[in-house]
Amino acid sequence: MSNEPIVKLVNVNKSYGNVYALEDINLDFYPGEIVSLVGDNGAGKSTLTKIISGTEGPDTNGKIIVDNKEVTNWSSAKARARGIETVYQNRALSEQQSIYDNVFLGREITNRFGFINRKKEIEETETLMRKIGYTSKVWTPLSSVNKLSGGERQGVAISRAILFESRLVILDEPTTAMALTEAAEVLEFVSNLKKSGKSVVFISHNPWDAHAVADRFVILERGKIVFDGPKGSMSADDFIALLHKFAKKDIKS
Amino acid sequence: MSEKKKGILIPERYKPVLGAFIFFVVMLSAFIASSPDVFLSIGIYSAVFLSLPLFAIMGLSLVFVTAAGEIDLAFPSIIPLSGLAFAWTLQQTNLNFLLATIFSVVVGISCGLLNGFLVTKLGLSSLITTLGMNFALIGLCNVLNNGAVRTFEELNDTRIKSILVGSFGPIPAQMFWMVLISLVLGMIFHRHKFGLHVRVAGDNPEAGRAMGVNIERTKILCFTLVGLCASIVGILGILLLSTYFSTMGEAYLLPVLAAVFVGGTPVTGGKGTIGGLVIGATTVVFIQTGVVAAGLDGHWTSLGFGLVIVLSLLGHRKFSGRLTR
Ligand SMILES: Nc1ncnc2c1ncn2[C@@H]1O[C@H](COP(=O)(O)OP(=O)(O)OP(=O)(O)O)[C@@H](O)[C@H]1O
Ligand SMILES: [Mg+2]
Repeated sequence: MSNEPIVKLVNVNKSYGNVYALEDINLDFYPGEIVSLVGDNGAGKSTLTKIISGTEGPDTNGKIIVDNKEVTNWSSAKARARGIETVYQNRALSEQQSIYDNVFLGREITNRFGFINRKKEIEETETLMRKIGYTSKVWTPLSSVNKLSGGERQGVAISRAILFESRLVILDEPTTAMALTEAAEVLEFVSNLKKSGKSVVFISHNPWDAHAVADRFVILERGKIVFDGPKGSMSADDFIALLHKFAKKDIKS
Repeated sequence: MSEKKKGILIPERYKPVLGAFIFFVVMLSAFIASSPDVFLSIGIYSAVFLSLPLFAIMGLSLVFVTAAGEIDLAFPSIIPLSGLAFAWTLQQTNLNFLLATIFSVVVGISCGLLNGFLVTKLGLSSLITTLGMNFALIGLCNVLNNGAVRTFEELNDTRIKSILVGSFGPIPAQMFWMVLISLVLGMIFHRHKFGLHVRVAGDNPEAGRAMGVNIERTKILCFTLVGLCASIVGILGILLLSTYFSTMGEAYLLPVLAAVFVGGTPVTGGKGTIGGLVIGATTVVFIQTGVVAAGLDGHWTSLGFGLVIVLSLLGHRKFSGRLTR
């Protein structure tokens, strides 16, 4: 990982009133790497993703550096234009519409009068779904989302995130509230994202999931980074032990 | 939750249309069985085709608003108000049709815009806002019109009238306009990105916003479309009878809403069907015309509507899964 980071956060802080959601965050995201971001409820994981993806601004003193250049007036539109895509915790899908309509929502392929080129969108959706390993005998891009399982819905959201050459895909709790097989499906999607050259930020409360996909771990506690290091030869048990160590520091009694 | 994979597979999006169609056929068969002489003659169909376009054009715009997760109850008053603008301008300008149309459309669109702004920018409930607007606008209309009945016999032999509401053989010209407007709005609703944004606005506006869709603007445009269609209906209605009276919108509320729901557009928003609306409107107008033609008392019409709405909702639910909730 000697190459330059896609996104670099320098001394980023974020407070809501007198709650410090993030304190002095210094963090780099490199190409082709899956970072598992873990931490307790309210640790600041979602806040961190919102700052990277431009939906929330950091407090004034911090810096966001993209491709070695500091960015100003960072917004979600700008982030998307620079190849940073977020899959939100609630997935943000319109369930009554088709898969391809959801994938292209807000970025439809149209003729110059605004009519949707369905054929092209459907083909592209098939390609995207294949890329992340989302193959189904039952569902086609024309199926409506409300028929799909949780894992499959996540697949739709992830397909959408890799549209238009995105480089860094942020997944906020993509496996939460999912059955084991569904979660396994999503983990498969995530590994395939990496194979197709994307960087991933993977947020999870499930240490096994977080361990399975990661190249690197970042542990957040109460708005601070308490651990940032490569997975290396760390086993799932080692990782869980590490999590316990930091969690214990917070619990007094 | 297991999907049955046997039998003919009907694509999901055609189910409401097919359901509405089956319902129409059943109703028509019932009418024919009860009084064959009336319902096997061409006269009844001509009568239906005379007024069907007005209800259908109004209903088309309601499909957009409903799919966007809102409702518009103000159209029965926008029809006479924009109609008044049309009639008044005709009188003032010695029948300048173009000017009258423009003014009427401006009035209709303004009413729609106002509804749209009240609902989206102030976050008011569309049900209550447009109900209030319905009263306010008819009040305004009555104050301005002051009980006048305005007749336009001079229009009777004009080209413009025969193009808009004349007839091609047994088929009234307005049927042609209905088909044209349905095709255009159908393309927009089902194939244009605006149509997709409308459906997303009614299904999960947050999802739309997250992807950069302007949900507020989308909804405002839906209300504006209602205003535009109300103005078209007002103009056609005045031309049809060569008369303006301020109660001309009263008969529209229930039939138009019935047409939307019978047509298979769910109240819950997020989807809708233009083809279904046209079939739904035909069903509804058929009941209206058929009850009278069959020699039944007019009160039976309401009973008929009630039955049709409830039965069709049940039918749609059986047929396409959750439509009603
Ligand atoms: N819009 C907001 N206004 C006020 N406080 C907020 C807001 N968003 C987040 N917070 C606070 O910031 C802290 C971090 O929240 P955040 O959502 O980032 O946590 P998280 O790590 O994603 O938690 P979870 O695992 O539950 O999703 C919490 O204390 C939370 O209450
Ligand atoms: Mg969170």
